[in-house]
Amino acid sequence: MSLKISMTVNGKSVSGDIEPRTLLVDFIRDTLRLTGTHVGCDTAQCGACTIHMGGKAVKSCNILAMQASGAEIVTIEGIAKSDGTLHPMQEAFRDNHGLQCGFCTPGMVMSAIDLARNNASLTEETIRAGLDGNLCRCTGYHNIVKAVQAGAQAMK
Amino acid sequence: MSTTNVIGSPLKRREDYRFLTGTGTYTDDVKLDRQTYAVFVRSPHAHAKINRIDTSKAKQAPGVIAVFTGEDTANAKINGLPCGWLITDVNGQPMKEPAHPVLAQGKVRYVGDHVAVVIAETYFQAKDAAELVEVDYETLPAVVDVAEAHKPGAPALHDMAPDNTCYVWAIGDKGAVDKAFASAHHVTKLEFLNNRLVPNAIEPRAAIASYNRADEGYTLYVSNQNPHVERLLMTAFVLGLPEHKVRVIAPDVGGGFGSKIYLYAEDVVVTWASKQVNRPVKWTSDRSEAFMSDAHGRDHVTVAELAMDKDGKFLAMRVNTTAAMGAYLSTFASCIPTILYATLLAGQYTTPLIYCEVKAVFTNTAPVDAYRGAGRPEAISVGQPPGTGTQS
Repeated sequence: MSLKISMTVNGKSVSGDIEPRTLLVDFIRDTLRLTGTHVGCDTAQCGACTIHMGGKAVKSCNILAMQASGAEIVTIEGIAKSDGTLHPMQEAFRDNHGLQCGFCTPGMVMSAIDLARNNASLTEETIRAGLDGNLCRCTGYHNIVKAVQAGAQAMK
Repeated sequence: MSTTNVIGSPLKRREDYRFLTGTGTYTDDVKLDRQTYAVFVRSPHAHAKINRIDTSKAKQAPGVIAVFTGEDTANAKINGLPCGWLITDVNGQPMKEPAHPVLAQGKVRYVGDHVAVVIAETYFQAKDAAELVEVDYETLPAVVDVAEAHKPGAPALHDMAPDNTCYVWAIGDKGAVDKAFASAHHVTKLEFLNNRLVPNAIEPRAAIASYNRADEGYTLYVSNQNPHVERLLMTAFVLGLPEHKVRVIAPDVGGGFGSKIYLYAEDVVVTWASKQVNRPVKWTSDRSEAFMSDAHGRDHVTVAELAMDKDGKFLAMRVNTTAAMGAYLSTFASCIPTILYATLLAGQYTTPLIYCEVKAVFTNTAPVDAYRGAGRPEAISVGQPPGTGTQS
């Protein structure tokens, strides 16, 4: 059985035919070929698949594509300006060496933007708590926290 | 002429822009025309005899292109995975290197051992069909504890190693060390465990292979830290192909910590299968598979003794370690608890005499190989066990 679904991704209307059990992350990666959203654990623990759905950070491996029908989705590919200028949070990760292998990075950036938008002031403690659901196995947390602090400041 | 002092100046990394914008290319991001999907059937038992494998239902399932078992890889004369480092036993014999088949040959030896592969048009079809492969297992007693594996009565994993011992290896002047201990003012003895761990790179392993009938060449994209060695071992030792007929591409790699240095069965199987089905074959590990099938790290039990004079100066160190190899020898397994371990036991302390003996044993567990530091962190934890702090 195949279902047709439609949603808005990075400002564009998209649609596709999927099996009902297709995860949102697989729709994004395989159907739309937006491969910046990664699958690290497929069990909602690592956060590499984090995207924005309706303005909130969501783990796209833990939601069916059908559940996102009609939703407004933003992925890591939709964060920088169309001319390629990085978003302040992306720039802050770059400046603070907040990434190494880069695999967790899209999820980290998406979570960090959500965190900055919803918190007027962020401390090291609140950033660490806020990124609880994003794992970095290169163990770059120290610089990630610095990057989020700088990025949140730049977003103001 | 003006100069810029780069020491202490932050440098922007070349790769960061693509990683930050989601435009990196990790192996699972690679999608080839007409690609197929592979799912492995893995052993749910730590130790079992395989009486029969029935693939008939799986072969008839929707979208299935092929199902291969160990019988197929044996008929194709695919060799086992080699261990790249020979250790000589204290008795002068080479270490025991049992066959490490890419698909099980009549027996499974750890949970996660690869039994069959299903190749289908879609991932879901491959996954569904893999559940239709019926394997008749006859479970056998298993040994998973490194300290128990070599004891009399422990179940043997391999016929060639009835006491589960791969090798006993030693370094140092035992006589001189024993003499120093005999005359020491004080001897400290510690016994401890360096627990097994799963490396858990954030990017699961993945491999996608294609074959070109026109030039009889293969291309393998693989999440790997060591593509040249991967190619050498796969062509020369396993598939018997000319090295120049296989191109191995390691694109962006999402961490490895050692666990992606090795040649794995899945890489060989998808490469070989791409010729059999004449289409690209892709496999991506899920996290549960990674726990079961990635090479693990550490897993030692050690008795360490330190002989000191009346002022507390070190006279000699005597170390006896039993190291788990897991069920089979991974690519560099044998050198980790020997050459890369015993040679660093003294750490930064002046220690005139050291004798170290290492027994490597097979256990019904995932293979063990290098992880973050590869033997040397294990050595440092002997010389400076956690909790001892800095001695004043």
